[in-house]
Amino acid sequence: MSRLAPVVIDNGTGFTKMGFAGNNDPSFIQPTAIATRDGSGSTAGPAVPSKPTYLNAPSGSNVASKRGIEDLDFFIGDEAVANSKTYALNYPIRHGQIENWDHMERFWEQSIFKYLRCEPEDHYFLLTEPPLNPPENRENTAEIMFESFNVQGLYIAVQAVLALAASWTSSKVSEQTLTGTVIDSGDGVTHVIPVAEGYVIGSSIKSVPIAGRDLTSFVQNLLRERGENMIPAEDSLTVAQKIKEQYSYVCPDIVKEFKKYDQEGEKYFKKYEGVHSVTGKSYTVDVGFERFLAPEIFFNPEIASSDYLTPLPEVVDTVVQTSPIDVRRGLYKNIVLSGGSTMFENFAKRLQRDIKRIADNRIKRSEILSGGKMQSTPMEVNVISHKKQRYAVWFGGSLLASTGEFHSYCHTKAEYDEVGPSIARHNRVFGTLG
Amino acid sequence: MILLDYYNRIIEDTLKQRFSPENKPKPVEMNLVDFDGVSYHLSTLEDQDAKLSLSIRWKCWPELIQYGAMDVLRREYSQWIVNPEPGFDFTLQFDLENLGADPADLVRRVSLLKRNAMAAPFERAFDAQAMAEKEDSWDPSTSQLMAIHYREGEAIYVQNQQDRVTVIFSTLFKEETDRIFARVFLQEFVDARKKPHLQNAPQVIYSHREPPLEIRHVPGLLDSESMGYITFVLFPRNFARGAVREETISRIQIFRDYLHYHIKCSKAYMHSRMRARVSDFLKVLNRAKPEIQSADKKLASGRTFRRA
Repeated sequence: MSRLAPVVIDNGTGFTKMGFAGNNDPSFIQPTAIATRDGSGSTAGPAVPSKPTYLNAPSGSNVASKRGIEDLDFFIGDEAVANSKTYALNYPIRHGQIENWDHMERFWEQSIFKYLRCEPEDHYFLLTEPPLNPPENRENTAEIMFESFNVQGLYIAVQAVLALAASWTSSKVSEQTLTGTVIDSGDGVTHVIPVAEGYVIGSSIKSVPIAGRDLTSFVQNLLRERGENMIPAEDSLTVAQKIKEQYSYVCPDIVKEFKKYDQEGEKYFKKYEGVHSVTGKSYTVDVGFERFLAPEIFFNPEIASSDYLTPLPEVVDTVVQTSPIDVRRGLYKNIVLSGGSTMFENFAKRLQRDIKRIADNRIKRSEILSGGKMQSTPMEVNVISHKKQRYAVWFGGSLLASTGEFHSYCHTKAEYDEVGPSIARHNRVFGTLG
Repeated sequence: MILLDYYNRIIEDTLKQRFSPENKPKPVEMNLVDFDGVSYHLSTLEDQDAKLSLSIRWKCWPELIQYGAMDVLRREYSQWIVNPEPGFDFTLQFDLENLGADPADLVRRVSLLKRNAMAAPFERAFDAQAMAEKEDSWDPSTSQLMAIHYREGEAIYVQNQQDRVTVIFSTLFKEETDRIFARVFLQEFVDARKKPHLQNAPQVIYSHREPPLEIRHVPGLLDSESMGYITFVLFPRNFARGAVREETISRIQIFRDYLHYHIKCSKAYMHSRMRARVSDFLKVLNRAKPEIQSADKKLASGRTFRRA
């Protein structure tokens, strides 16, 4: 019997991407949310009886249906959000890491059986983990996957590495290397992660507290301050989000851009047409400077916040400079974007220009300091943007899992039974303890 | 929730999106799976983005054809059937510019492709039983035992008799723990029928290792600890024509997946109980730590008394 396609699941803080290997797009993109019945839902599992049930008086019939089925009464994903009025909504993943294993186990349960409709015993699985995930978490994941679901094999990949692999589809990439800097910007937080030959350089990872959510609220503020009072209050967040997604782009120079808008406004100003979600009336909103101002906060954070002031290109530069010296050229040469908030037009171009400028200045300064005696080759800076950027991590996983060697990299059920959860600490691709 | 759907959600979602006139046809290339080792291939023809084809591959396809699956499929999908794509068993092709009167209905029917293919042996058995019931003297030799080897090592047997149809699942549990869970679970099935309001439910018999009499003569049955047999005895009232019959067929097909889903759910439930219990124990242990007494004793005045 030919092997069935491996299942690829990328559980992110905001959204879970799941599908089968070999496809170009994930089959489901759903919020990583679970709606359960238990009121508070924060820490408590099911109620634990004060003493084991066999100590209770025998109850006559052995029909055990007196106990409820509350543990089965839950929704995940979009359905969870839709039912948030009557159920308690929980997000089992915080900051990329799984916080609530009870909820996560049930989330997986339903994503596998109800959404993907596959028997886990017949498939290999590829899951993802954030960089710097503690090995205990990986063990817990392996435990659930092997013991609850009896999966045939499991591979847990680091998200940044998958994002690098996904960039191989871009025509700009000449060689398939696993060295590069990954800029991963999702909804909650932006990470800059240096990867050298598949190893994440943990000590140099930097995160920027600006991501999709902040951009949206920035646009929302701009609209509010300008007095776009046509927007109904309850729709204001979605309108801001739509404007951000549909009209925003990155400009080369903010001052020139303002001038352009002033001189020939009608060419640049857009109109957003929306429909009131309650009354069904249509309205229009003018879209102006926020078109280029929203993504600009990556490059000039001071326009949006007063506590975080380092521009993204500078962060990337610091990350590379704190990495080991022999990989720095590789890191500059291959800067890969991943995640929805890197999708703006010209984002890659602007980033490349700014980083290049910083790197060139440094080289120039060191040449001057050496008194003109030293000449160094110019630094090659490449920011790679590709079609699969939005779901780069998932796509990288799908790519990896559809290769012939994938099955040999996985830990199989038999090996797990032999060794135990600690097997998840070992990564066969690198041949060392991860 | 508690029950699994009968249709394939990915196919439904994708087709719904493709069939809606707002979306322009664009190339698609997808490989999907469903329960029981079914593979689908959804793609558009080369250079023709408006021609969408869906192929299915399933191990037990020849058996299903033998039991009349083609008739059911022709009834459901008549105009869309084309010659099967190489490497697949059955192919449907849609022209996005000409989808017929009710695209929504088409999407629903297509997403039930696997279910419909497997409905054939059940329908045949139900019909045969209806015929047999009318006759006064029924020849037991006309009863047909239809075996569908739908998974590696597992099969469904459907047999019609004069007054009933018997459906037997042979199940193989790879995991010791699963088998134990399944036994408790299946015992519940048997016991649940004792409740007064469930008297009309079909009878369920579970036997461990020992195959039921109906299939004892079948060659190649694996004699192993990990085998189990579940028998459903369906009486005519369980498959009255119309909605009841369709529902029965759908339900009985999904039974194995339902069972495995719930074994996994019970394990997850056990695990969350264990986690809760462990954190409780940890709390107790933390409380039991001896408090470290502060070494220096104080005088009434607040100063410390030190021994020289």
